[in-house]
Amino acid sequence: MSLNEFQLQLMNGITLGALLFIVSSGFTLIFGLMRIVNLAQGSLYLVGGYIGLSTIRATGSFWLALLAGAGAVAALGFAMERGLLRMVRGQPMSEILLTVGLSLIVADMSLAIWGGDPITLEAPAAIDGSTSILGVSYPVFRIFVLVLGIVVAGALWWVLERTRTGAIVRAGVDDREMVAALGINIKAVFTGVFVLGAMLAGLAGVVGGAYLSLFPGADTEILTYSLVVVVVGGLGSLRGAIAGSLLVGLVYDFGQSLVPDLAYFVLFAPMALILLMRPQGLFGRAG
Amino acid sequence: MSLGPAKLKWAFLAAAVVLALLLPYGVSSFYVGLATQVLFFGLFALAINLLSGYGGMITLGHAGLLGVAGYGLGILTVHEGWSLGPAVVASLAATVVASALFGLLAVRTRGTYFVMITLAEGMVVWGIAQRWQELTGGENGITGIPKPPFAEEYWQFYYLALAVAIVCVFLVARFVRSPFGLSLKGIREGEDRLAPLGYNVTLHKLVAFTISGTLAGVAGLLVAMYNNFFAPTQVFFLASASGLLMAILGGVGTLSGAFVGSAVVVGIQNWLSSYVERWQTVLGVVFVLVILFAPDGLVGLWTRFVWAPLLRRLGAREAAAAAERITASASASVVKGVSPALIGEDEGEAARPAVRAASTQEEG
Repeated sequence: MSLNEFQLQLMNGITLGALLFIVSSGFTLIFGLMRIVNLAQGSLYLVGGYIGLSTIRATGSFWLALLAGAGAVAALGFAMERGLLRMVRGQPMSEILLTVGLSLIVADMSLAIWGGDPITLEAPAAIDGSTSILGVSYPVFRIFVLVLGIVVAGALWWVLERTRTGAIVRAGVDDREMVAALGINIKAVFTGVFVLGAMLAGLAGVVGGAYLSLFPGADTEILTYSLVVVVVGGLGSLRGAIAGSLLVGLVYDFGQSLVPDLAYFVLFAPMALILLMRPQGLFGRAG
Repeated sequence: MSLGPAKLKWAFLAAAVVLALLLPYGVSSFYVGLATQVLFFGLFALAINLLSGYGGMITLGHAGLLGVAGYGLGILTVHEGWSLGPAVVASLAATVVASALFGLLAVRTRGTYFVMITLAEGMVVWGIAQRWQELTGGENGITGIPKPPFAEEYWQFYYLALAVAIVCVFLVARFVRSPFGLSLKGIREGEDRLAPLGYNVTLHKLVAFTISGTLAGVAGLLVAMYNNFFAPTQVFFLASASGLLMAILGGVGTLSGAFVGSAVVVGIQNWLSSYVERWQTVLGVVFVLVILFAPDGLVGLWTRFVWAPLLRRLGAREAAAAAERITASASASVVKGVSPALIGEDEGEAARPAVRAASTQEEG
């Protein structure tokens, strides 16, 4: 591997990590507050991408597609939380299993509506093409993904650490009953966080549709990456999601170029190691 | 009266076995084929039920272990030219090793983490199956896996599957009633309480995981031989999820439930798919409905509405109450996840069971 190739892989790993961060930050946020492992997160990602696809076909605008994908999936998340997950609140396993059932339905419905052929979304002209970074030609779109990931991370940090809503969410993570006892409508906060997590999945779907591609099964792949990210970083931790995403992005990308047959397998090595040495993840709280 | 609950149960069991034995005489080869699938997916669901229903460890990656056996058999017989006998033994041995390895990682965790890690483990096998062309044939899978010479005909293979299923059910029945099996249920109901009593909880979980994975491997061997073919779809997340659905739909923590659930799911997949194209959606809807409205599963419903009332009419009140209690407690701790262990686990902070129990009741 020459230095230029190394630099290219490094940048690919980091930008893929940014994409993974957008999906798994939603995942980890939902878990952090609600203790729900949303196994439909991958399906929400895929649906977001497909809705983006339809929007691009109808209007030709990628930016509109970003809005539509994120918005529609947020609405879907709202329906899921209000319509179904609420019915089994307080039963952690029922909640997980419900999301499994929902992911089967969503995956099959997507197949019915958008078909089974792999599709890649087209990036808009403004961020298409490539630029030169330290002598290596690199797609502008991937840099856009990185910037978007940083913006999402910054926005989440700001909301969680600097606003009243964020304070309520953080208090809810620590002690749900106490927050409810203070007269705060914790159920509404739950819904809000779930919708936000779903929205991030939808947003990532549109971006991921242009970065990777959309196909039946992409939902489970992205879900698996997110699982590895949060297991590595620690469930419920935003910092963990950042570290985990970068690690998974880099390991996957270098694995892909060094041992293509085993890229998927190599991905699980960091997970196995971390589980053995630090079961709660890099940034997870002991427990 | 001479007809006690135990005898009645044996009578039902005997009738089921006789029916199963006579089946190829009564129906066409298509339905015998379906029944064969019900048997091996039932075994798969039984494996999941052993781990999840009895041990309280919900797995979403068991198809990966079924796949280790199936791919092992395919690679050894087709690519390496081994004869079937040694290949079967070697594939099962590989499954035991893989199960123990997967178990080592997974049993360090519990609850939601356990689910996530098993899912990821299953996807590792899928990733290898899908990507490592040379070894697994990639998306095309491996074709030409032989059946045993004495089970070439469809009805012969049915009897083979039936014999394997009966032996496995017998062994699992012995296992769950053994002291080890009882301590496994104890882990399900509250592993924090078992450790102070001197049980090596982690070792128990690891052994249960390995046995369950091996049983899934037995199912995998039958799947590979029956289809003469093995492909990545058989180890995909969907396969693990439908196995879990079978176990829950039938009834967690029951032996017959695995086969009842398997019959319904195989029915939906094969029979319904000729009428409705979107059978996977139907499967998902069934999944959601069962979780919401019938976490006891079909065997639970049967116990509540047929078996227990029947026992009461026969005067066996205590047996009726016990039967109801068994299915209800299994589903409460497994499907809902509200056993004392899981509530206590509730991450990080010191558990305050009273407050949590109260809030659970209020919210549920």
